Amino acid sequence: MEKSCTLLVHFDKGTPAIATEIKEALEGSDVSAKIDAMKKAISLLLNGETLPQLFITIVRYVLPSEDHTVQKLLLLYLEIIDKKDQKGRVLPEMILICQNLRNNLQHPNEYIRGVTLRFLCRLNETEIIEPLIPSVLQNLEHRHPFIRRNAILAMMAIYKLPHGDQLLVDAPEMIEKVLSTEQDQSAKRNAFLMLFNCDQDRAINYLLTNVDKVSEWGELLQMVVLELIRKVCRTNRGEKGKYIKIIISLLNAPSNAVIYECAGTLVSLSSAPTAIRAAANTYCQLLLSQSDNNVKLIVLDRLNELKSSHREIMVDRIMDVLRALSSPNLDIQRKTLDIVLELITPRNINEVVLMLKKEVMKTQNGELEKNGEYRQMLIQAIHSCAVKFPEVASTVVHLLMDFLGDSNVASAIDVAIFVREIIETNPKLRVSIITRLLDTFYQIRAARVCCCALWIIGEYCLSLSEVESGIATIKQCLGELPFYSIPEEGEAPTDASKNSQQPSSVTVSSRRPAILSDGTYATQSAASETAFSPPTIVQGSLAAGNLRSLLLTGDFFLGAVVACTLTKLVLRLEEVQPSRVEVNKVSTQALLIMVSMIQLGQSPVLSHPIDCDSYDRIVLCVRLLCSTGDEVRKIWLQSCRQSFVKMLSEKQLRETEELKAKAQVSYAQPDDLIDFYHLKSRKGMSQLELEDEVQDDLKRATGEFIKDGDDANKLNRVLQLTGFSDPVYAEAYVTVHHYDIVLDVTVINRTTETLQNLCLELATMGDLKLVERPQNYTLAPESSRQIKANIKVSSTETGVIFGNIVYEASNVLERTVVVLNDIHIDIMDYISPAVCTDAAFRSMWAEFEWENKVAVNTIIQSEKDFLDHIIKSTNMKCLTAPSALDGDCGFLAANLYAKSVFGEDALVNVSIEKQLDGKLSGYIRIRSKTQGIALSLGDKITLKQKGGS
Amino acid sequence: MVVLAASIMSKNGKVLVSRQFVDMSRIRIEGLLAAFPKLIGIGKQHTYVETENVRYVYQPIEALYLLLVTNKQSNILDDLETLRLLSKLVPEYSMSLDEEGICQTAFELIFAFDEVISLGHKENVTVAQVKQYCEMESHEEKLHKLLLQNKIDETKRRMKEEASKIDQMKIEKNRGNKGGFMSSMGSGRIESSFSDMSISSGGGGGFGSGSGFGLTTDIDSFASKPKGRQPSSATAPPKGLGMKLGKNQRANQFLESLKAEGEMIVEDAQPSKLSSHIATAHQPTDPVTLTAEEKLNVTLKRDGGLSNFDVQGQLSLQILNPEDGLIQVQIETGGNPGDAGVGLLKWRMQSADESMVPLTINCWPSVSGNETFVSIEYEASSLFDLRNVMISVPLPALREPPSVRQIDGEWRYDSRNSILEWSILLIDNSNRSGAMEFVVPPADSSSFFPISVRFSATSTYSELKVVNILPLKGGAPPKFSQRTQLITENYQVV
Repeated sequence: MEKSCTLLVHFDKGTPAIATEIKEALEGSDVSAKIDAMKKAISLLLNGETLPQLFITIVRYVLPSEDHTVQKLLLLYLEIIDKKDQKGRVLPEMILICQNLRNNLQHPNEYIRGVTLRFLCRLNETEIIEPLIPSVLQNLEHRHPFIRRNAILAMMAIYKLPHGDQLLVDAPEMIEKVLSTEQDQSAKRNAFLMLFNCDQDRAINYLLTNVDKVSEWGELLQMVVLELIRKVCRTNRGEKGKYIKIIISLLNAPSNAVIYECAGTLVSLSSAPTAIRAAANTYCQLLLSQSDNNVKLIVLDRLNELKSSHREIMVDRIMDVLRALSSPNLDIQRKTLDIVLELITPRNINEVVLMLKKEVMKTQNGELEKNGEYRQMLIQAIHSCAVKFPEVASTVVHLLMDFLGDSNVASAIDVAIFVREIIETNPKLRVSIITRLLDTFYQIRAARVCCCALWIIGEYCLSLSEVESGIATIKQCLGELPFYSIPEEGEAPTDASKNSQQPSSVTVSSRRPAILSDGTYATQSAASETAFSPPTIVQGSLAAGNLRSLLLTGDFFLGAVVACTLTKLVLRLEEVQPSRVEVNKVSTQALLIMVSMIQLGQSPVLSHPIDCDSYDRIVLCVRLLCSTGDEVRKIWLQSCRQSFVKMLSEKQLRETEELKAKAQVSYAQPDDLIDFYHLKSRKGMSQLELEDEVQDDLKRATGEFIKDGDDANKLNRVLQLTGFSDPVYAEAYVTVHHYDIVLDVTVINRTTETLQNLCLELATMGDLKLVERPQNYTLAPESSRQIKANIKVSSTETGVIFGNIVYEASNVLERTVVVLNDIHIDIMDYISPAVCTDAAFRSMWAEFEWENKVAVNTIIQSEKDFLDHIIKSTNMKCLTAPSALDGDCGFLAANLYAKSVFGEDALVNVSIEKQLDGKLSGYIRIRSKTQGIALSLGDKITLKQKGGS
Repeated sequence: MVVLAASIMSKNGKVLVSRQFVDMSRIRIEGLLAAFPKLIGIGKQHTYVETENVRYVYQPIEALYLLLVTNKQSNILDDLETLRLLSKLVPEYSMSLDEEGICQTAFELIFAFDEVISLGHKENVTVAQVKQYCEMESHEEKLHKLLLQNKIDETKRRMKEEASKIDQMKIEKNRGNKGGFMSSMGSGRIESSFSDMSISSGGGGGFGSGSGFGLTTDIDSFASKPKGRQPSSATAPPKGLGMKLGKNQRANQFLESLKAEGEMIVEDAQPSKLSSHIATAHQPTDPVTLTAEEKLNVTLKRDGGLSNFDVQGQLSLQILNPEDGLIQVQIETGGNPGDAGVGLLKWRMQSADESMVPLTINCWPSVSGNETFVSIEYEASSLFDLRNVMISVPLPALREPPSVRQIDGEWRYDSRNSILEWSILLIDNSNRSGAMEFVVPPADSSSFFPISVRFSATSTYSELKVVNILPLKGGAPPKFSQRTQLITENYQVV
């Protein structure tokens, strides 16, 4: 175990204190100067500076000081210095401080005694502690509680030291005595804690003899009691019966912290429904009574855990959990909904949906800024409820359809998608949904929602009346034709100039990055959520025509969709309308609309003309209506729907597969060993194996648990640092942990001389920092030595460690230098594949400042292979669905995503095209918040993209 | 429920202070703290972050984050309470809530953190309690110190007593020596031994009422058998310790007495007669006591010069037995007796001659920076040996006693009257001049005046001596004792 670090203080390198100055101040008699000097000395030591001789100065001049602050600083100083030599023996001069510590332990000032006792808790050297023990024991009975508290803790710390039980043989007995008479809450807690840690049986004994008083004990003590119970029951399951009662009595404690802990203990002790129910109840109660968001979130986490382990019980509590939605915090609401959605059953679905509906309605009233987002969340929740239990769809779909015209585009789109799915999966609802949709269509304001709604109209208007009213609705929304007045009227130019102010309303199909006049990228969203300009002249005159106003902003993609929908409707009309005359009439009207749209697109009224794609589509529709054939009709009327159904089923399949995968993880492998707890021999096991989860948790937190990788892998990472013929041979084995790199350097003296003052000097480039200063070693002839160096990493970036080995041979005075090979730290060690939603990816893409654009230059011929190669070499996750990458069209665009261990995001977009000569061309763009990732990842890709290997 | 560390870091991720409560390596804690700023999302309404292994509970304070690192099983309710307490403590200790302020008070903050969390467990304390714990103001320590101080004072007092005893003894011994010496020189010098005796009685007045009396008897005994006394006092002084201390000074005293004799020698006296008179007296107390006393009224100017000098002398007579009531006193004066009357004699002397002033005081206050250095020097004329000199310097009101840098003699600070008293037990030829220097907070130089001085001496200006008394009725002259004393009535430097 590495030396532990008890305090960190920021060190200002700008004003380095000089050792001699510190020394002088320490020797002086001015107390405040002494305090300053002590502080400086401690800061310097913490910064890795070695201040030789300081110890003696301090012993001579600081130890006798009467000042309290000086004494406290002295204790801090003693805390951080090395008290052992290299071989692990206590330095002889440490005995000098013993007397001072003893005096402090008998100091008339109770606080000096207290802080000294506290210092003893952090001391590991029994040699120093031993002579102090009588003084520590004396303090146990001091009348000031501050001293008793710390004395008990000191005893605990000493007892826990290796061989500490021999130093304080009867400590548990003494503490037990203390415990029975102690009045101070904190001291009592400490005493119980000491028994708990050092002599568990006594602690249990004490607890059981005082069972009836537990509920009257102080909060601090109750917490430790719960901890004890948890620990005892884990090692000795049979006894938990005794303790459950205590826990139940504590569930009514006045302190919320105790209640929370109780619930946790109950869950860990028992899986009996009553216990779990009580715990769940407690959590729900805390969820409602606590106003702090942090508490709510963590309680929700606990409930989530309960949900996965005891779903059936949590199902009953679903309504209690749902009540947390009343909190205005989005994170809480999201978490709550997540939990609830997994708890819905046929029995409670109605209640839940009712509640959700109520919440949705609430969002309409208050105009809080977060309401839109919350509404979106609720809609998604209702959506997934409806997917799981189609029968509820009927109750909610109409309500939700009110939100199609919502100003919050995201939630409106969610509603549209929801409706689209429901209408397919719930054929019964089709008629009512269509009627409703046609009624509310005019309210829809966003282009994307319009597109979706139009698609539904085109696809699901089946009966004659529906088709007719569908066409009528569209026509009404488009308003009077033509779209623009002839220039003589003098209104159009103003219109155009107004519209031209909106460069951001790029059509959806356009994939060019929009570049603003100042050369920066405009916020570029593929889903152009057109915030159309406030009332233009055209809109003013035709308020109802939402489609019209959208078209007039230049959204020709929507125009194409309108054309397609009309085409579909006309085609269907041909099927259902017996009268040809009617059909033709409608058909010509549709043609007129399409032609006017094209005309609009080509007119100079709009700032930019219609794009080719939309133009082609509209023209196609025109052609189609002019000459219909069965084949085309089949494509338009059936295949479209089929592919939608296919998409839905694929989505469902993916979800079920994910579920399956999730479910599979928790199962044991068929050939796994089964541990029978009671048959397990404890003799051979280390303490570590016997430790319980709580301890593990703590160990993980302090970083004591670091899994060793397999040895074979280890050997792959050995780097040779010097040549074989160099007088000193060195090789390093590099371990990359999360935040640090450990270099294990083996240094071998190849000469027959003793090398003195051998020092491994390292320097770093990039965001790396050496933690310690190098030490000097003496290396006997032909011997070797292991040197460890810690390097701190603070961000994802390719770093280089370089350095040299310096030494003196015994007969030559000058120092010899051997330069080491550079060690490159690979960025790949720090990034790991991650998933994020499409929307999140897009918003990050728009937000991040650093872009690195790498031109594709590879010998790989297939786009798919190239993508796979990039994914493999960058260790990223492809966000684009595999089905979207299917097929062979000569183009490929995919988004990759990864996260670094430091929480930084790395976004990559691959856009490639197959050239005529079979080569791939295109760009890989990397975006990140920090320069380091963009650069390093770019370098990596440049290096690896060639492929072929 | 364990708090791993409590830290304060700046918003841009610089760790300013961190206190760990469980064992963890430096690289680990630095790694955890370095990761923290990257983990906090923007616009979150909760203040905790969980990672795979730890939980951070934090609170923004102006441009800083106050942060607790806990394990994930930790009780959030407890931790939040701890955090709340810490956030109240930070502004108590750090005057400005920015990087600089925190860095300056880093250690104080660490001390405070220690009081709130012990070994990772929360303590039930309030802000006030933490402050109290950190101030470390201990009643018991004060008591202890008081006790200690008392002991020291007690010892000092005893030391003084012992010292004065030794002094007394020294003087006795001196006298013994002198007496012996003089007697060997011849009976004509007895006169001087009388004057010496008065010195001791004058000086002894301060030590105890009995000593003066005892001295006179001592003198008697020695006077009665002068020859027998001499060897014993020269070879075997009464107490070993007294001799040791006295030894150094003895030469001085010896010289001084010699010098004194030199003056006395010119005096015309009748030694044989006196000695016979004294020798015949065997009563335990003197039936007749004659006291010659001169009172000094002197006003000196602070910048030198004399503004007033006035000596008033008086000879008083005390007779125990009425039958000795009719006596004739023979007086002999060395200087000008001024106007003298028969019976109860009174005289007065005024002068503008600065050389007459027995003790001049110079006081130089000088202000430098936020301190005032005051140096006081005295210079005594060689006319007298001054005893129990006490120079009282008024000081401006001070909270603490002035710090005395250098002093000849001893000092005491009377805080009630705000007076610094400089006392010198004896000014003789060995220390005709002396100095003291002390430092006080800045003050006006005039606040150190008027300095008043008290002292006494055993010789007078008039050098009046009672040579003999003769009973008018005839018969043997009664034994008498004589005191000569110069005291200050009003001696000031203004």
